[in-house]
Order: sequence, then C-alpha cells, then structure tokens
Amino acid sequence: MDKNSMRNNKNFSRVSNIIESLAINPSPDSVAVLEEIGTNSSIDDVREMTSKALVRRNEFDSLSVVIANRGKGINDMSTVVAMSTINELLSLENKEEAMKILENTISSEGFDEEVKENARSVKALMALS
Amino acid sequence: MSTVEKITQLSHRIFNTSMNEQNTTRTSNPFAASNFQKNILTEDVFESSKAKESKNVSFTGNLSAGSKRIYSTFVGSLSDLGNRFAEGIENIVALGRSLKEGFVNAWNKIQEIGSKEVHIDMEGAKSILNKEVGSFDGMKKALSMDVTSLFVKPKEREIMKLSKMDPHTEVKPMLTEALAALEADMVMVA
Repeated sequence: MDKNSMRNNKNFSRVSNIIESLAINPSPDSVAVLEEIGTNSSIDDVREMTSKALVRRNEFDSLSVVIANRGKGINDMSTVVAMSTINELLSLENKEEAMKILENTISSEGFDEEVKENARSVKALMALS
Repeated sequence: MSTVEKITQLSHRIFNTSMNEQNTTRTSNPFAASNFQKNILTEDVFESSKAKESKNVSFTGNLSAGSKRIYSTFVGSLSDLGNRFAEGIENIVALGRSLKEGFVNAWNKIQEIGSKEVHIDMEGAKSILNKEVGSFDGMKKALSMDVTSLFVKPKEREIMKLSKMDPHTEVKPMLTEALAALEADMVMVA
C-alpha cells in the first residue's frame, strides 16, 4: 500500500485520530499507551505519528521514549521516522526539557553508543536552531 | 300690485341693469363677485345677507316668496338674456363642478395617502422589527454557541472526544483494534 492509499484508508484515519488524541490527553498514562502500541507498530507511518505525538507532549517521560530508547524515535530503524522525530524536536517552542534529556543521554553510561551518538547529533542541531 | 305690474318692474330692472346695480355684501355666497349681484335670481340658493337686514331697500319692492318664484320662472323662461348671463351661469356651474371635483379628489387623495402611509408604516415597522428581532436572536444564538464548534471539523471533534477518554481502559483497546484493522487492510492490498 502506497502512502496516498494509506492516508485515505479509513482505519488509518481512525488510528491517526486516536494517536492525536493521546498526544493531547492530560493523563500521563497516554505515554505508556503510545509507547506500548504506537512505537512498536510494524507500520512506519504509525510509528512516525506516534513519535511526533510523544514529542508534542513535551514531557520528560514522552521525550525519553523518543530520545533514549533504542529503535524508537530518533533511533528508529526507519530514516523517515527518525528524521521526522528530529524535525519535531527542532520545531518545539520550549526545548528545555528535550535538551536536558539529550544531555543526560549523552553523559549517562547506561545507554548504547549508537543512542548516545544520535543524541549528540540532535543536541547539536537543536543548539543551532 | 298686480302680478303683471310686478313683472313689468322686473323687466325694467333686467334691461336697465346699470340703474339698479348695488353693491351687496354676501356672507353666505362664495360667488359674491359674480353677476348674481344684480339680484336677478332672487330665488337662488344664495341669499343676500344685506337683503335680510334691510327689507326696505329692495328694488323689487316687498316681494313675497310666491312672487319671487314667479319672477324666477319668468327670468328662467327668457331666451334672450344675453351671452353674458349664460356664460356667467356656465362659468359658475363649471367652477362649482371643478371645485367639487377638486375637493372630492383632494379628499380621496388625502384618504388614500393617509391610509397608505399608515398601512406602510405599520407593515414596514412590523417587518423591520421582526427582522431586527430575528437577527438579534440569531446573533444571540451565535454568540452563545461554543466558539470552537464553529471552526472544528469532524476529525478535530473526534480527537477532542477521544482525548477525554481514559488511555488504558478506553483508548488502548480502540487503538489496538484500529491498528489490527489497518494491518489487515495492508495485507489485503499487498
């Protein structure tokens, strides 16, 4: 299924609406649902939407999912998903929380080198933006 | 005085008008400036006020009502009274008719205009009032509406509705179900 057919799909619209609603849902449980269901989806577009929704929440928990987790957000296997997440991070009005998490990820010993490298690159981009 | 003598006197008066002309003030006659001042038609509907006041100064003498009627009949029967008299009568009749018509027309016009104006005013005011009240009600309704509902599309409305649900108990099952359906669609297309 190509991208246009996907966007016109009724179920895709339904998934999109649910993910968007979780992005603005005030309950902290929304992050857990997005992480558990959205970021683990086999569909790139769903993972992309989920990562963007997590960035838009701009909370410690939600940003940690897309920055410090292997295979999710900026560390996703799909370049499109990773780049979209980075673009969303750069679009944040208040980048304070994201910068904190990026610095923690870079300086922390408990993360993969690949994750740290991605965090370093994104931090450099955010500092320039 | 016999009737014949009276008629003779009257004839004398008619045909020697300059001798008997007299300025007569009339209060009830609107055509006082006309030829009736010669008192030819004494049996006319217009009666001189002066004649009432001074009975002695009548150049026809103390004529009784019956005599007057006879004279009027006599005068009316004369065919050679002259164009002046006939024209005067015609003019007066025409004037009276035109006055009457003018007055009637004016009255009708006034009535028409008056009723029209009242009608238009009332209806116009009513319709304007209704329109104003209608628009005011519409405005009130629009203002009392939730402003976001004017701009929110169905997609946004659904998102707002979903965002108020519990993520674990309500949203998660829905997301799982929708994702499963989407994956099934993708498999079908592939």
